[in-house]
Amino acid sequence: MKILMIEATKYTPMINLDPQKGVFEFKGKSYPENTFDFYSPVIDWIEKYFMSDRSAPTRVNMDIIYFNSSSSKLFFDFFDILDEARKNGYSVEVNWYYDKENESSLEAGEDFKEDFEELTFNLIEK
Amino acid sequence: MDIRQDRLIDELQVFMESDLERFKSLGERIIKDIRRQHKIMEASDKRQRKEYDQLQEKLLEVERLNREIEDTQKEVVFTMGAIGESRSKETGNHVKRVAEYSKILALAAGMSEREADLLKQASPMHDIGKVAIPDDILNKPGKLDESELDVMKQHTKLGYDMLKHSKRPLLKAAATVAYEHHERYDGNGYPRGLKGEEIHIYGRITAIADVFDALGSDRVYKKAWDDERIFELFKNEKGKQFDPHLVDLFFENINELLKVREEYRDLFG
Repeated sequence: MKILMIEATKYTPMINLDPQKGVFEFKGKSYPENTFDFYSPVIDWIEKYFMSDRSAPTRVNMDIIYFNSSSSKLFFDFFDILDEARKNGYSVEVNWYYDKENESSLEAGEDFKEDFEELTFNLIEK
Repeated sequence: MDIRQDRLIDELQVFMESDLERFKSLGERIIKDIRRQHKIMEASDKRQRKEYDQLQEKLLEVERLNREIEDTQKEVVFTMGAIGESRSKETGNHVKRVAEYSKILALAAGMSEREADLLKQASPMHDIGKVAIPDDILNKPGKLDESELDVMKQHTKLGYDMLKHSKRPLLKAAATVAYEHHERYDGNGYPRGLKGEEIHIYGRITAIADVFDALGSDRVYKKAWDDERIFELFKNEKGKQFDPHLVDLFFENINELLKVREEYRDLFG
């Protein structure tokens, strides 16, 4: 599998999915005009990623400072995939980075953590 | 996998032909999804409210700052006018009256309230160029000789040169007024001898406002003309010194102009 790298734009985050290192990075803002279209190749990539054998852990670093409702819905779907992978024996860890001043980012992180009790979900203050 | 919500609908359709276990699992997922949607909506509502509040606050702040800028601008411009006035033989409320007369004539000439206000603020600067005229000429008692008059006349161009570099509408208007308020409709004015509508409407209006005020005010060197004599001059100079249409408007609005003169009368004129 190849690295999937998407540069940040005004409305979308930088995304870097590295299969060798097992690190997924999301950084920036997420309020694309069409959220599902934007994330569709990302979700496809991740589903393929978890279809292959891998014993090394996968680390997901999310540093999203602003996102719209459909991005939020999409993150739930994304964490579903990660949770499913966990159930299938993969080692997965999510690091949700937030700024102390950014209340909505922290609250969203808490919502995700609460919804995915068995997924390792770390809330990390920047 | 299609990540959209309608995946659930697809599965619901499959379920129609399927078994109870599958229904239970699907039901649980639908419930979970609905709960998530609620969470998302609550979070979104909360943030929207906060963002809107912040936007309102910022807007108020911007409006306040805008007012501050406009007020400062008006004050600076007015002060500049007063400086020009202190260097001229005019006294007291001359610039205030010229400002008000200009606005009345501007509105009568069909300008918008906004543009009339612009001219009102710009017209007090018509004599700003006098700051650069030497004292011995500016303060000379009695008549100026020809060469002195030539120097004196330069105050129009000097004022224009001081203001012309600005891109601000107000200062641009002021530059025009300073440059053209001594032009005559018949082309015999200065500094450029512009004629008729070659002279900007701001210049033509301020010319009337300035002369009307100067003649109607007491000065150290002269008594105020009485109104009949002033009106006679405007009638005679219609189409000569002054724009004939503006002279008509001057007479049509004379009551309002006289009211302003009364309101801003010089106490120690």
